[in-house]
Order: sequence, then structure tokens, then C-alpha cells
Amino acid sequence: MLENSIFAILALFLVGGSLMMLWSRETVLSAFGFLVAMLAMAGLFALLENSFVFLAQIMVSVGAVVVLSLMVITSINMKEENLPSEPYKLRWMLFSALLVSPFALLMYRTLVHLGQTFDTSREGYGTLKGLGGELFSHWVLPFEIVSVLLLAAMVAAIVIARKEPKQ
Amino acid sequence: MTAEPFFMVATLLFSLGLIGLISRRNLFVVYMSIELMLSSVNLLLLTFSRLHGTMGGSVMVLLMIAVIAAEAALFLAMIIQLVRSRRSVDSDDFAQLKQTKEPL
Repeated sequence: MLENSIFAILALFLVGGSLMMLWSRETVLSAFGFLVAMLAMAGLFALLENSFVFLAQIMVSVGAVVVLSLMVITSINMKEENLPSEPYKLRWMLFSALLVSPFALLMYRTLVHLGQTFDTSREGYGTLKGLGGELFSHWVLPFEIVSVLLLAAMVAAIVIARKEPKQ
Repeated sequence: MTAEPFFMVATLLFSLGLIGLISRRNLFVVYMSIELMLSSVNLLLLTFSRLHGTMGGSVMVLLMIAVIAAEAALFLAMIIQLVRSRRSVDSDDFAQLKQTKEPL
């Protein structure tokens, strides 16, 4: 019962945050909606008894990604009149919702058939110890590839965003 | 607690992200919609990990979070570069690679 009410509150924040992100014209407000959605998502991770993934979500998605986006948005500091004018935003949204809804229904019906009830989780599920054991026994190669990917992304971000040297 | 509400929320989030990707023109909102879709996939992976009681899905989510961080860094660098060259965040303004009829 308690779990269900916590889930309802988190889902409300999640969907509300995403709607705020979609709807608001001001980019900063969009980013705050996204922040709320990511925090609620971390709460859902905790509800699924994955304590370390919850921490990682808070640290990376909320603490790094959203804060970096907010920093970029505030440093670009677009004026209201320079934002793209979207006179038919509502129409576009309704039309794309119409397009997306059959696909969403299909996805939901498929997923529901795949499994229903959670068993009581086994000893050590979702803890840092269990996760580390799994990561460094079965998932070593993807882990190493991710480290190379992060390095490449860092170099690429610096190269793309730096000022062109004067000719 | 059953898995069904989690599936519902994940589907809803994915659809909202797709709607934002299709209908908005502000580059930042497009970027955040893509992140939202990625996160909904994360939620699905964790739900399945919890359903099956194995940690594989959780590890995948952990790696996905690293990929999301890399993607965010690249996307924001690209937005900075585009804003610097055009002073605009309208996705319609960035069609430099579009094929034109007249020869270059």
C-alpha cells in the first residue's frame, strides 16, 4: 500500500516534469521540468530496490547532465524574441500524439505479457556488492568499451566546442 | 506491487519523448526529449532486472548512464558550436548539409 502511494507520487512528478519540459517556451523552465523528471526517475529506481543505480542516477543524470545543460542554457542566455517561434505547437503536439499512440499501445500490451509480479528479491540484489560482482565478472568488456567511449566523447566535445583559430 | 504500472510509466515517458522530438523546434527541448526516451528505456531495463531477480539489467543501466553522460557532453558541445555560428537555437536554421539544386 505504501509502495503504491509512493509510486503514484513519483509517477505524477515524472509525467508532470516531462509535460512541463515539453510545453514551456522558456528553455530554463524546460530544464527545470527535466530536472524534476530525472529526480522522480531516480526515486522509481530506488523503488525497484536498486540502491546503487539510484545513486548513479542522482550523481550522473541529475548532478552532471542536468546541471551541465542548465549551465549551457544560462550562459547562452537566449532572449525571448530569439527563441524559435512555434505558432502551431499545440497542433503539432496533438498530431504527433495521434501518430505515437498506437505504437505506445502496442509497446504497453507487449510488455504486460512479459511478466507481472515481483518476487521477493534475493539476498544482495541491487546492492553495490552484487552489482560490482556482476559488472566485473560478466560485463568487463562493455565496461572497458564505455571507458574508451567516455574518453572519445570528452576529446570530441572539446574539439567541437572550441573557438576556431583566427585565420 | 506489480510490474504493470512501471511498464505504463515507461511507455508514457517514451511516447512523451517521441512527441517532443517530433513537435518541438528548440534544440534544447529536442535534446532533453532524447534523454527522456533513453531514461525510459533505463526504467524498463531495471523493471525486467527486478522481475527476473538477476543483476544483468542493472549493470546495463549503469553502462547506459555512462553513455547518456557522453551523449550529453557531445550534444551540448554541438549546440554551443551551432549557437556560436548562427545565434539561434531553432533546429530549422541548421540545414547546412541539406542538398541544394544550385551547384556549390
